[in-house]
Amino acid sequence: MKHVLLTAAAAATFATGALAQEVTLGRFFGACEDAGTDTTTSTGEACIIQSIINAADAELDGISINTLPTDWGNYYDQIKAAYAGGTPPDVHVMHRHRIPEFAGLGALAEISGDLEAAGIDPNDWSPAALDAVSFEGGIYGVPMDFHANLWHVNMDVMTEAGLVEDGKPVLPSSPEELLAHAQQVKDATGKDYLAADFAQFPIGVRLVLALMWQQNANIFTEDGTATINTDAGKNAVTTITQLFDAGLANPQLNYADSQQAFLNGEAAILVNGTWVVDFYTAQAADPAVGLENYYVADFPTLFETGATWADSHMWAIPSTLEGDDKMAALKVLAFINDHNIDWARTGHMAVRKSVVESDAYTSLPHRDEYTGTAAIAKDTPPSERYGAIQDVLNRELQAIWLTGKSVEDALDDAELEVQDLLDR
Amino acid sequence: MQEPRTSAKRMSQTQAAWLLLAPFLITYGLFLVYPFFRGFWISLHDWNLLAVAFNPDAKEFVGFRNYERVMWGRNIEWGFASPFWQGLGVLGLAASAYLRRVDRLSRFNAIALAVASLLLVVLPGFHPGEDGRWYDRRFWPTVGNTLLFVGLAVPGVTISALLLAAALNKETKAMGALRTLFFLSQVLSVTVVTLIWQIMFSPRQGLIANITETFGGTPINWLTDEQFAMAAIVIATVWWSLGIAMILFLAGLQDISKDIYEAAALDNARGAKAFWYVTLPNLQRTITLVVVLQIILHFQVFGQSHLMTQGGPNDTTQVLVRYIYQTGFRDSELGRASAMAVFLFVIMGTFSVIQFIVGREKK
Repeated sequence: MKHVLLTAAAAATFATGALAQEVTLGRFFGACEDAGTDTTTSTGEACIIQSIINAADAELDGISINTLPTDWGNYYDQIKAAYAGGTPPDVHVMHRHRIPEFAGLGALAEISGDLEAAGIDPNDWSPAALDAVSFEGGIYGVPMDFHANLWHVNMDVMTEAGLVEDGKPVLPSSPEELLAHAQQVKDATGKDYLAADFAQFPIGVRLVLALMWQQNANIFTEDGTATINTDAGKNAVTTITQLFDAGLANPQLNYADSQQAFLNGEAAILVNGTWVVDFYTAQAADPAVGLENYYVADFPTLFETGATWADSHMWAIPSTLEGDDKMAALKVLAFINDHNIDWARTGHMAVRKSVVESDAYTSLPHRDEYTGTAAIAKDTPPSERYGAIQDVLNRELQAIWLTGKSVEDALDDAELEVQDLLDR
Repeated sequence: MQEPRTSAKRMSQTQAAWLLLAPFLITYGLFLVYPFFRGFWISLHDWNLLAVAFNPDAKEFVGFRNYERVMWGRNIEWGFASPFWQGLGVLGLAASAYLRRVDRLSRFNAIALAVASLLLVVLPGFHPGEDGRWYDRRFWPTVGNTLLFVGLAVPGVTISALLLAAALNKETKAMGALRTLFFLSQVLSVTVVTLIWQIMFSPRQGLIANITETFGGTPINWLTDEQFAMAAIVIATVWWSLGIAMILFLAGLQDISKDIYEAAALDNARGAKAFWYVTLPNLQRTITLVVVLQIILHFQVFGQSHLMTQGGPNDTTQVLVRYIYQTGFRDSELGRASAMAVFLFVIMGTFSVIQFIVGREKK
């Protein structure tokens, strides 16, 4: 018996050593324990991506995928430390806004010459998707989505407040109208008009950024001058603070609490990303959940130009990967690229033209309600210090709505600190 | 009878000592001494974590500029900028001189009080003058937050652990069970502790909010309210690190002879009186030990702030180690982060020295 076991063990070691190429994969999105290999039925970011990875592991010959811990909070710190230690994962997810930092230092592999051999057709990517993974003329990853801030709407609250027309929510077109609608909801239902994570995760920052872009302004220029303490900045911030001051929104809710408030039916609007559309759809179908009539709307234009905060998820491989390891990693990227439609089920916008035009895509729940988002998607100018800049804004904006710091002082401080970061 | 082996073949005592010490010394040198000096070396460079990993020549020697950029500023002046703290320092100086004169304070304590007071007079006096500014506007507030955290957590842990230890210092089964129960929180990891307390503090589903609501109050947003965020992480910390302090106190309590209590009882000192006049004086050394250990431990606070409040709101719970971590890993500025780490080392080193001196005083 012992012999049999030993032989089996040896054979197994030999077999896996000879046949299966291990690909380590780094990602965030959180953990999903029993994702299975069915990519067409899983729900939520974590489970959909893990089902795609599991399917790749099962279907790709000679490749076994080892998914590393999937924690959100410290993802980039971990990846950076892994790169610095010379042991980055063979494949990892990242945001487009991190490309200047990682590709700029030579950490990422330039893969424009390898795509075809791996079975990836970059011509099928939309121009914006190609742009998202491009840096100084090269291609540094395979795009997976566009994600953006949306307005998630509780239609029952809006109906009660008389803010529904032809089955669509009536959304504000100016800061004044925003306040009026919010008051209307409060008077009719006693509920808050707008909920969002203003307290921890930078959803509030993304809101203010969108409102600045809507005035054709930005927080810093391409040549590196911070422009935060401006009229546009003040307008953007006061658009939000007027709601807090009038008691029509609560700035102290964090991500989980604001989401819970919306799902409990305690707020008419939740500002959050595309990544929760399928989750909220599922929640709305659950009779135990307060939210029943769920609608998804494009971020409304309150100033001159339409704009909402957006970013892209993409998959990259380290520049140090070579030979068979690199080919195996590229195959995994190709597999993920082939499953773009499954990933779009989360609510994210697809990157492949063939997917965007398909019936499967256009018939996804609520998809027809936010078709305008792709055209108004925006982000700050590229910077190696994106993370630190977001942090400064988050801190100073929180200071305004959580600690009563004056708008002038906070924007002034934010401008100084962002300038410091740009100058470093 | 066989002759004992010649002494030439035997190791001398010194040799044996070195041999036995070698594994420790090598490990210590490799994993503590070397990294420390390496850290100091890095702090003298402009050192980008990723850039240097891909190109070892990407670092630049800048001397003490990182220290200047972190701790200093433009047009920094000295004056009575914060009257409260500096006033307190002056009072402390006067008190130490007076108490030493009338011999109410040992020489060591008088010097310690004087040094602390002097620092209180000098340090808060620095402020940016006209057109001036700190180069790093977050560093000193972060140090202040860390001090506040230590200032709240250390007495919190010490007092509650002391009271618990005094209450549980009985030889019954129930007390044994309770002792285990109170120690249990200590074995949890910081992630578990912060998760438990995040749920406890949640204004929607938390236990505390539920209790507040039962009594008709409005729940507090503990973790996102400027006034409560620091208190929240201190409460979680006290709950978490009670165990070790309690065990140390229990050990100290069991060292106090029963005779003293009996004698005290004859003088009509029982209960609280006995605690004040017998227990406390006899526990003095244990208290000092616990306090100094806690100070060193809590200066390194990271997880509670990082996981519960992300340093917010508005940086009110941003602490030194989290700032070092962010600077080093998020911003890739390893040189700057190392400079801050050296600063933290100096602070903790000071307290270690104090503990060392206190430990040697009057056996």
